[in-house]
Amino acid sequence: MDTTVLSPVGFPPAVTARGIAPQLDGLDGRHLFLVDVGFENSGPFMQQLQGWLAEHEPGTRTTVVKWRNQHVPDPELCERIRAEGDAAILGVGL
Amino acid sequence: MTLETEYGVPAVAVHADAFARLVASVARVNGMPGARRAFVPTPVLNRTPDELRAYIEGDDPVRGRPFMAEVVDALTKPVPPEELRGVGLDRSTPRHVEAEPGADMQRLFRERGWTDMLPVVLPTEERVAAMLEGTSHDRDEIVGSLRPTNFREPWSFTVEKVAVNAVMAGAEPRYLPVILALAASGFTARNSSTSSIGTMVVVNGPIREEIGMNAGIGALGPYNHANATIGRAYGLLSQNLQGGSVPGETFMGSQGNPYAYSCVTFAEHEEASPWAPYHTLHGFSPEESAATVFAVWGNVWTEGLRESWREKIQAMIGGLEPFLGTTLVLDPIVARELVSRGIPDQEALIAWIHEHVRVPAGRYWDTYCARNFIREDAELGIEPFASYATAEPDAAIPLFEPHRIHVVVAGGSTTGQWSAFSGAPLDPRFRLDPSLSPTVSIDRWR
Repeated sequence: MDTTVLSPVGFPPAVTARGIAPQLDGLDGRHLFLVDVGFENSGPFMQQLQGWLAEHEPGTRTTVVKWRNQHVPDPELCERIRAEGDAAILGVGL
Repeated sequence: MTLETEYGVPAVAVHADAFARLVASVARVNGMPGARRAFVPTPVLNRTPDELRAYIEGDDPVRGRPFMAEVVDALTKPVPPEELRGVGLDRSTPRHVEAEPGADMQRLFRERGWTDMLPVVLPTEERVAAMLEGTSHDRDEIVGSLRPTNFREPWSFTVEKVAVNAVMAGAEPRYLPVILALAASGFTARNSSTSSIGTMVVVNGPIREEIGMNAGIGALGPYNHANATIGRAYGLLSQNLQGGSVPGETFMGSQGNPYAYSCVTFAEHEEASPWAPYHTLHGFSPEESAATVFAVWGNVWTEGLRESWREKIQAMIGGLEPFLGTTLVLDPIVARELVSRGIPDQEALIAWIHEHVRVPAGRYWDTYCARNFIREDAELGIEPFASYATAEPDAAIPLFEPHRIHVVVAGGSTTGQWSAFSGAPLDPRFRLDPSLSPTVSIDRWR
């Protein structure tokens, strides 16, 4: 059986390490942005999430915002979240 | 991920659980396998507010813990040092297949996800060298890159890699310029979309005759070696050169698409058509050879132009999804009948469809595509979609804008068959590069 065949697989780019941001020491007193990324029903999901947080984490401030385009990051919104917020919850992604 | 890496903001991404493997894979190849995430049940679509609240108050179906505990812990629990740094990977791939002597290579190729589950021609050095005789380009020349979806990393490939996949499909060396052109297009024939995108390829110009492609009887069926193997090669090279098409990880089409076996590859019947060849409407001269890649989901069929042909077109096309567009594949008989009924060319037919195939605005906006893609344009004030968004629900609005309607002539004139495909060249926002044209030069790869 011939085993000297060529691989049909392409060339993957090297994966560069990218770290995540440090954790918060708690949610109390923090400002969370709840980001509707634009997929259908994501907005209502974020509204329900906001309601849950208001009931169970009353010391946490929340703001629901919408990603302008679900296919690419929204730089203006990212800047706003960095300037005004402490963390974000994004969804609901496919 | 952008919020974490570029803005330093801790962020939890919430996903539907059907995408758990995909999410883990994307996090890994982005160098942050520890990316914060939590899952709710699938689907989110069409759930009521109470049902969404139940998702939030229920368990994360992937981790088996309360969803909100997962979210809160992700934001507040200490992060291991390696996740703060991220994890890089060297993913170089060998030129030859590494296997034990005597290994069943057909089985090995199948088990590694390199086939369409049908037997392939094994790409030996000799066969690949013979295939490379089909082009003047160097085997080490970089052809381009592909990826299964916008949020994955593009993989690159050489002329030799394309030739390997062409051998596997059973193609002849003289087909290689067409296959290279499709590979270089930047459009994958193995898109990961949940909607199960299929692919259709139309070839124009002198190359059709040179390599014996079929534009006549059975053009869209399995009756011509060039049509069949060029399409199969395009599918195989797409899945292998982009880093896979694995269900649940790099392919998420809910039902899959039977068009993926052949990529519905055929030649336009330019000689029998009363109209200009398709590629000449998209930047090429008749003496040039070009291939066009269409993203298609399915098709509806009818025969001939009857007295009620206008109503028939309205009914056939009117039920398709907005945004995706439509591509009409007309037998030459039908194209000539249209001419005799006052439609002198493709542009006139496209204008007629745009004007007369209308749907109520309420129904238009009650579709997945309109809600998820066209709505973005409307919210940005882009016309005519902004006006469509404010139209009364029963107002009749065009289903497709003219640039989303395409017409091709193919068939053997045994009857006046014609098909309306759901789909057209892929919308720019889903292309590897929005500036890429779906009609590409074949001559460049001779």
